Amino acid sequence: MSILAIHPGAYYHIETLEAPRYAHHFDVLVRPEDLPSVDLDKHAVVFIPCRTPADRLAPHAAQLLAYLDQGGTIVATGETNWDVFLPGINFTPQPTNWWWWLTPGADLGVRVASAGHSLFRRLGQDDLTWHLHGWFDPPDGAEVLAVNGEGKPILYVDEVTTPGRMIITSLDPCFHHGSHFMPATTRFLDGFLPWMREELDGAQTK
Amino acid sequence: MTAPAFADAISSGLMKVVREMELTGEDFATARGLITTTHLDQIGFQRFAADVAAFLDRGGRWIYHGHILRPILAELGIYQPIPNPKRADFVQTRLSEHPIFAGIDQKMLETNHGVTGFYGRGHNPPPEGAVVINALGPAKTPVDWIWARPQGGELLSHAGNEFWGCGDDPEIKKQLAGRAVAWLAGELN
Repeated sequence: MSILAIHPGAYYHIETLEAPRYAHHFDVLVRPEDLPSVDLDKHAVVFIPCRTPADRLAPHAAQLLAYLDQGGTIVATGETNWDVFLPGINFTPQPTNWWWWLTPGADLGVRVASAGHSLFRRLGQDDLTWHLHGWFDPPDGAEVLAVNGEGKPILYVDEVTTPGRMIITSLDPCFHHGSHFMPATTRFLDGFLPWMREELDGAQTK
Repeated sequence: MTAPAFADAISSGLMKVVREMELTGEDFATARGLITTTHLDQIGFQRFAADVAAFLDRGGRWIYHGHILRPILAELGIYQPIPNPKRADFVQTRLSEHPIFAGIDQKMLETNHGVTGFYGRGHNPPPEGAVVINALGPAKTPVDWIWARPQGGELLSHAGNEFWGCGDDPEIKKQLAGRAVAWLAGELN
């Protein structure tokens, strides 16, 4: 099938979605406002990049839910208000410590919580570690892939809220990669996007 | 957009904050100055190309933040990041004075918590006739420039996050924000 990415149009979205490094991971780029003209069911994955303005997706919440209800997969990264366009989201923001790494030997506390998951054949703990914006309280039955220092989920897979699958993270790799900043975010996308293509794009279904 | 820095300008009616999806041509037709943030939807902004040109034609001033990847004017080019930047590449140098930056030690904007790279990591190519205000590193990467557009209007490009959000000195941030508004309003020249 294919991967459709929402394209909100900020420079970091353009750099992440269109530049040669990752462009081949996205088959179709769609502006939030153009979603009604798209048949999402033709796509194995809908990718929503970090810092997508939630108010631009809110009008399309019913369409996204219908897509999930027919078994679709939505991947959404951080720094947005997921709850206004996706079901089952319970998020608690936290103050971001941008400077933790300035202390020698400091540990942000991010931990892989499901080491056997296929994603972690491509990603290591350090590739998820740059800073934190908050954590989720996923529904019972969701698979937590990574947690913060307090053991709170920051990356999880929800296959219980809908017949489809939501992969949700509070990490914001697209913003920082697209800003040419923070190498860990580029390493994250170097692993995550090929995994998304191989594991989610029709190769494996629920 | 660090709104508190602009609270007075907003409450007095001098400044209006408009969400992108609510922008209309009328907003450009009635404004003297324009700030676009680093989060600008550059694809969506293309629909206002004629409005932006008309705004500049009648002498409007525009402060642009961020990396230009969808130039809205023919004279603008694509953002160029500094390849594999090192610490020395982020040293900031004032190359020419501009009323917004006058008297402010550019070194004060070079780091946040001792870390460089927040101010800028590359440049938007200056159009012909633009004057570089601040540069980065030994290559003198033109991170800030001002362009008096031959057809009218002025564009101040800062190839990074909002410049009044950089550095660690709250007074300088406040000063920069206040000067930016005054310059856009034509009160600082």
